[in-house]
Parts: sequence; C-alpha cells; structure tokens
Amino acid sequence: MNQILFGVIATMGVLSALGTVLARNLVHAGLFLVAFFFLIACQFVMLEAEFLAAVQVLVYIGAVAIILMFGIMLTRNIQGDDTTTVSRAGFIAGGLAAVGLLTVLIFGITHEEGRSGRPAWNSVTTRPAIYPASARKSESQAAAINNMGLAVGEDLLTRYIVAFEAAGILLTAALVGAIALAIQEGPVSDDPSDRVKSKQNAESLAADEAESLLTSSRA
Amino acid sequence: MNDIPLTWFLIFAAACFVIGLMGVLVRRNAIAVLMAIEIMLNAANINLVAFWRYGTPVEGDSPISGVMFAIFVITVAAAEVAVGIGLILLCYRRWHAADVDRFDSLSG
Repeated sequence: MNQILFGVIATMGVLSALGTVLARNLVHAGLFLVAFFFLIACQFVMLEAEFLAAVQVLVYIGAVAIILMFGIMLTRNIQGDDTTTVSRAGFIAGGLAAVGLLTVLIFGITHEEGRSGRPAWNSVTTRPAIYPASARKSESQAAAINNMGLAVGEDLLTRYIVAFEAAGILLTAALVGAIALAIQEGPVSDDPSDRVKSKQNAESLAADEAESLLTSSRA
Repeated sequence: MNDIPLTWFLIFAAACFVIGLMGVLVRRNAIAVLMAIEIMLNAANINLVAFWRYGTPVEGDSPISGVMFAIFVITVAAAEVAVGIGLILLCYRRWHAADVDRFDSLSG
C-alpha cells in the first residue's frame, strides 16, 4: 500500500518536474512547479514529517511560486515564448549531462557498501518506530515526530538559536536588498550613460515601450 | 508492514535533481533557470529528510536534525528567490530581455 502510494507520488513528481523544465510557456512551467512543490510535500508526509510538509506548502506554494509568477508576468518576453529554450545542440548537450549524472547517482546509490562495522544503508527498508511503547532507544525521536511543531520550536530556540538568528538576518538583508535592487529612481532609462541625455530620450523611450507593449499584446 | 526502502527516496531525489540540472543547462529564460534551481533544492531536501527518518538517532543530538536542516534550506531558498527576482527585474529593465545569454556585458 505504502509502496504503491510512493510510486504514484514519485511518478507524478518526476513528470511535473519534467513539465516545469520542458514547458515552452513559462506560465505553464510555473503551474507545473506548483504541482511539483505539492508532490514534494506529499513525499514529506510519506516520510512522517508533516510539519515540514505544511511549511513546504506555505513557503513554496504560498510565497515562492507566487513571486515567480509575478516575475513571469513582469518580464513577459516581447518576442514571444519560443525563445525560452536553447538550440537543439544545447538541448542534447544538457540532456546528455543530465543522463550521465543520473547514471552516476543511481550507480552510487545502488552499489553502496557501507562503512566498516555498519550495514550498507541501501539495504535499509525499515524506519525507527514512532510508537513510544515499541521504541526504547529512539524514544525522544518518536516523541518529536509525534509532536513535531513543539519539537521544532524548542530546537529553534535552544540548539539552533544561532542559526535561527542568522536566518532572520539573512531574510531581512535579502528582502531589503531585493527592494533596493528593484526600486526605480526617476524616469525609465536603458543604460546608466543615457541618464545625462534626459528628456527627449526618455520620451522616445516611453514611446518605444508603449509600442512594444502594443505589439506584445497583439501577439 | 511493507515499508518503503530508503533507496527509493534517494533515487526519486536523484531523478528530480537531474531534471533540475537539465533545466538550468537547457533553459534560456532567467526565471525558468530559477525554477530549475528550486527543483534541485527540493530534491536535496528529500534526501535530508529521508536519511533523518531512516537513520538511527544519535544520543545527545537533536531528535529532528534532518527536519531542522530542511527548514533552514527552505529559508535560504526563499531569500534566494526574492533576490533572484529582484536581479532579474533589474536586468530586464536594462536589457529588455530576461534571457540569461543576453546578459553578456562582462564577456570580453
């Protein structure tokens, strides 16, 4: 039962990842990406990390995918969507690199031998139990899995407090930096050297932009 | 109970990672490249959580170390997307294109 469920989720996950990568229309790619994020959340549930699945849905589908959609909408290519992939030769080269790496990874995963005195982890098929009655050695882990929100909160404020604060600083700096990058000062300009040429240049640029908007909306 | 072998999760993660890598190499649009990077990060997260769940917990270590690692990866990925979109919008305004091979001012 579990295995069939895993098979279904994994197949759909790989297919939606392929759709993200190969879809010519960027909006379709974004929607495939949402499906992929959701299927990854399903995999987290299969791994009994439900809290992480919730975080995945909230952060990735709720925030990251929406930001990416904004980016797509704001930078619609004026020439159309046909230019979003590289040439045939580049496609074959990329595909070859990907298939080669996949071969290496799968060979490494299936032929692992394990460190001395320990069993190889590729033969592992059972997990530590999460029912406290049957779990003696991993009791704290079982308790943490069964009440993960509490465990994550406690860990964030004790064991990982430095990383937590660093992540807070990183997020603040990243968001301020993103706003500072994207903020627009004065009239739209093509190039920093153009800014001295001021007015009629800006007017012609605005006309150009209006024209390109018109053609893109017609196309 | 028929539990799922650890190898299955690893192979699924490897497949997703490889697809993401192909996306980074093949796509030309900067936002598509960003999406492919997100796929790769998610594949890495699957690996972290799978090893955490199947491994035996170490005495004195955090009982949910893999989950915490994945949460920090998600945090950094969110910050990365915000900055990435900001950069792409900036480049779009300057070159009127979001294609990575048009941003070639530094190539001699």
